[in-house]
Amino acid sequence: MGGLWYPGWRGVAFCGWRWIHPGSPARAAERVEPFLRPAWSGTGGTERGLRWLGTWKHCSLPARHPALQPPRRPKSSDPFTRAHVEEWRRRNKTTLTYVAAVAVAMLGASYAAVPLYRLYCQTTGLGGSAVAGHASDQIENMVPVKDRILKISFNADVHASLQWNFRPQQTEIYVVPGETALAFYRAKNPTDKPIIGISTYNVVPFEAGQYFNKIQCFCFEEQRLNPQEEVDMPVFFYIDPEFAEDPRMINVDLITLSYTFFEAKEGHTLPVPGYN
Amino acid sequence: MSTAMNFGTKSFQPRPPEKGSFPLDHLGECKSFKDKFMKCLYDNHFENALCRNESKEYLECRMERKLMLQEPLEKLGFGDLIGGKSEAKK
Repeated sequence: MGGLWYPGWRGVAFCGWRWIHPGSPARAAERVEPFLRPAWSGTGGTERGLRWLGTWKHCSLPARHPALQPPRRPKSSDPFTRAHVEEWRRRNKTTLTYVAAVAVAMLGASYAAVPLYRLYCQTTGLGGSAVAGHASDQIENMVPVKDRILKISFNADVHASLQWNFRPQQTEIYVVPGETALAFYRAKNPTDKPIIGISTYNVVPFEAGQYFNKIQCFCFEEQRLNPQEEVDMPVFFYIDPEFAEDPRMINVDLITLSYTFFEAKEGHTLPVPGYN
Repeated sequence: MSTAMNFGTKSFQPRPPEKGSFPLDHLGECKSFKDKFMKCLYDNHFENALCRNESKEYLECRMERKLMLQEPLEKLGFGDLIGGKSEAKK
């Protein structure tokens, strides 16, 4: 029988209709043969023909031949297909379990990322965050890179509500990486009441900030100035010798250190940015 | 303060100083050393390398007056300036 034409289709689609497929001459011959019997006379033939047509109404689906059953029906009781379906169901379930596990793992990884990233930053020192283990014996052993002269310029700012006069005592200083340097700022309280200030600093360019190490300065702690008092504020710092080996710093010759003073009020804490 | 809120750009992270904060010199006890240092800087066109002796003396003054924690000078990067000087501050 032809590939496309399932014999069973005939039983399904054409109830009782005796479909004669042109490609099946043998079957056609079987079907047509009774009508070609000699008993088929002229007058009686019409009756029989009508009777035959009449039986068309009372047709029922022809008896199922086992070979005519379509093997694709999902509700078949064929054990072979049932095993297939079971196999697909089992595979789907496994896939779903795997996908769900991956989703849960991703969620867990996103929670774990915060402390892990902090740890990573501390060990590699990327982004200028605090490098653990930066001991003072590094200062002892560091060798100045004498052929790389850097200009450090100083800037001083005050917050609008702080009435200090705050300015650097030198506009710039020439240092080399690996050499400790001292610089001074001066602050005067021209008012007649004591004022407490607290300062923070900034280094431009940002990438050079990770090499700018302050040994001691006057920032991040409250400094109190009595009325009409003027003090010198030193900054003791050095540029890390590794600055000279960083390819990104190859064009950096000017580093600007900028201090800003704010007024420290009772109960106020200066928000220090970063992971301190 | 640099708070560049751009994703991916580096922003500056201020770090506290390694040895903390200098106490303020309210009484001006080390002012003369500071003036010597500033004069040296002005004379030498602000080259730090030529004025390291003066900065060392200023820090020693601070350490004597308890305005700074006692530290061996090598740890402050003045190892090459100590030379034959006897190291009594340890």
